[in-house]
Amino acid sequence: MIELKNIEKTYRRGVENVRALRGVNLTIDAGELMAIVGPSGAGKTTLLHILGCLDQPTNGDVVFDGVNTASMPESQLVKIRREKIGFVFQQFYLIPGLSVFDNIALPLLFSKKPAQRKKIEQLAEMVGLEHRLNHAPAQLSGGEMQRTAIARGLVNDPAILLADEPTGNLDTENSEKIFAILRRLSDEGLTTIMITHNPELAARAERTVKIRDGLICP
Amino acid sequence: MTSYVKLAAKNILRHRTRSLLTMLGIAASVGVLFAVLSFNKGFTEGLAVELERTGLHFMIVPSGCAHEVAALVLHGAVIPKFLDTGVMEHVEQTAGIDLATPILVAQLPDQQRGKIDLIYGIEMNVLEAIKPGWEITGTIPRHEHEVLLGYEVAQHDNLKPGDHFSSPAEGVDLVVSGIVGYSGSQDDAFVYLPIQSAQNLLGYPQSATAIGVKVDDPTRIGAITESLTSSVPGIQIVTMGEVMNSVSNLAAAARALSLAIVLIAILISAVGVMNSILMAVFERTQEIGMMRAVGASRWDIFRIILSETTILALVGGVVGIVLSTLGARLIETFVRSVMPFVPSGDLIRFEPIVALGSVAFIFVIGLCAGIYPAVKASKINPVEAIKG
Repeated sequence: MIELKNIEKTYRRGVENVRALRGVNLTIDAGELMAIVGPSGAGKTTLLHILGCLDQPTNGDVVFDGVNTASMPESQLVKIRREKIGFVFQQFYLIPGLSVFDNIALPLLFSKKPAQRKKIEQLAEMVGLEHRLNHAPAQLSGGEMQRTAIARGLVNDPAILLADEPTGNLDTENSEKIFAILRRLSDEGLTTIMITHNPELAARAERTVKIRDGLICP
Repeated sequence: MTSYVKLAAKNILRHRTRSLLTMLGIAASVGVLFAVLSFNKGFTEGLAVELERTGLHFMIVPSGCAHEVAALVLHGAVIPKFLDTGVMEHVEQTAGIDLATPILVAQLPDQQRGKIDLIYGIEMNVLEAIKPGWEITGTIPRHEHEVLLGYEVAQHDNLKPGDHFSSPAEGVDLVVSGIVGYSGSQDDAFVYLPIQSAQNLLGYPQSATAIGVKVDDPTRIGAITESLTSSVPGIQIVTMGEVMNSVSNLAAAARALSLAIVLIAILISAVGVMNSILMAVFERTQEIGMMRAVGASRWDIFRIILSETTILALVGGVVGIVLSTLGARLIETFVRSVMPFVPSGDLIRFEPIVALGSVAFIFVIGLCAGIYPAVKASKINPVEAIKG
């Protein structure tokens, strides 16, 4: 489904060039639940952003369903993000002024699709928030916020869900709930890639990829 | 259902105090813009009505300044020059004159009553002819010591026909013969006397401040005034159109200055909007990064931010116009207290076209003020934004 070929990423930080990725080769199959682990600064998030067409590699190819996105213009990358990718972040990034319903529906605004109430309700039910649809994010617990973010990531029916430390701000109980949702999504055929610092969760993924110093460890 | 406008409105509401203050800045400047534009329209229309109510086509006055005549016609100014009423002979002999009347207008201070009477001396039969619309309680003065009171004068002194009118001139006993019904114009402020009584009371026999003339055919005013000017020396003829221009020009100069100040105020409030939205953009960098990640294009972000500025501008504009309309009487009271002449009637009227024009103007200003923050927001790098 996704093939990364010799991905390198260098970016500028102050006066130095940082080589975040130094030649990553990785193949991800459809429906896979993959955990990416590694120390801070290893290049995990950079890799996730490249997978999600949010960033582009300095060198190498990103083949997404047979199409190389590595040198695509931003206008086409936006389209891929809208149609094929769902993002979940450690900080949730819910919009405080919008209800849970509107936060879940937000990506539909950008993909110019109508917000079908039934679909939003199904997603909310799937993440256990059907009773919270009219609540503001400030009225939710951290776990509920992250579940709202997962529902938002799924609203465009993506082919792949990318989660950057989705349990990083949550306690064990809520982490378990989030992982259970990701597991279920994967079982239903959604490709799910999760960065985590939690070794227990990583061990329960179908595959764990370790990154250190911009390279995948064997 | 989320839309760009709803999203923008919700974002504005996240910082209520800041948004309210920014919006109030716009409301104040648009309110003043609307008031100035409406005032100009009300002023010009009020002036035209006022001049039409004089019932005259032009005034013959001693050579001098046209602004003096305007002041005379509109609020009974004291002009320290008089025409000899002998000029009347020449005027009456001129072809095309329907009626001509000497007018003696003067201010007469009365310290006992603590006010100044505006004396308007005119032939009473002429007064009847040029003011056919007046509703008079009582009669027009038929005798030398009778006066006709304008509505406001009668109200102020609580007088009715038959009452004695306290005269500032010693030994002169004046009786109220009638009271003019409310006209809402300058007419309400005068004390009308037969011309001879006025001349005697004021101590200017055979004198007139002006000779008011009504012609048979208004289209021939030009030819008649030319003929009079060439045949009678030492006079100046000022048509009501010229009076209107004269006063309008003075008002236009004041308006131009006011508009310049208003435009500066609008510019300042636009910078306020820009600053407010720019702060909001910086505060929401991560959120904008998230939106880019979940599918928002640069154009989407641009539209959201631009919607925020235009909503602020539009709401501020509408609030400003509503406040300006509600506060119109207060503004008018202030204007009347500082301007030497202001026509009667409503000066600030709600004119849909002026209101729409003001809102459209602030909408465009809002768009312009929003462009920089919107461009700035659309250029936020999502990767860096999400990293924080």
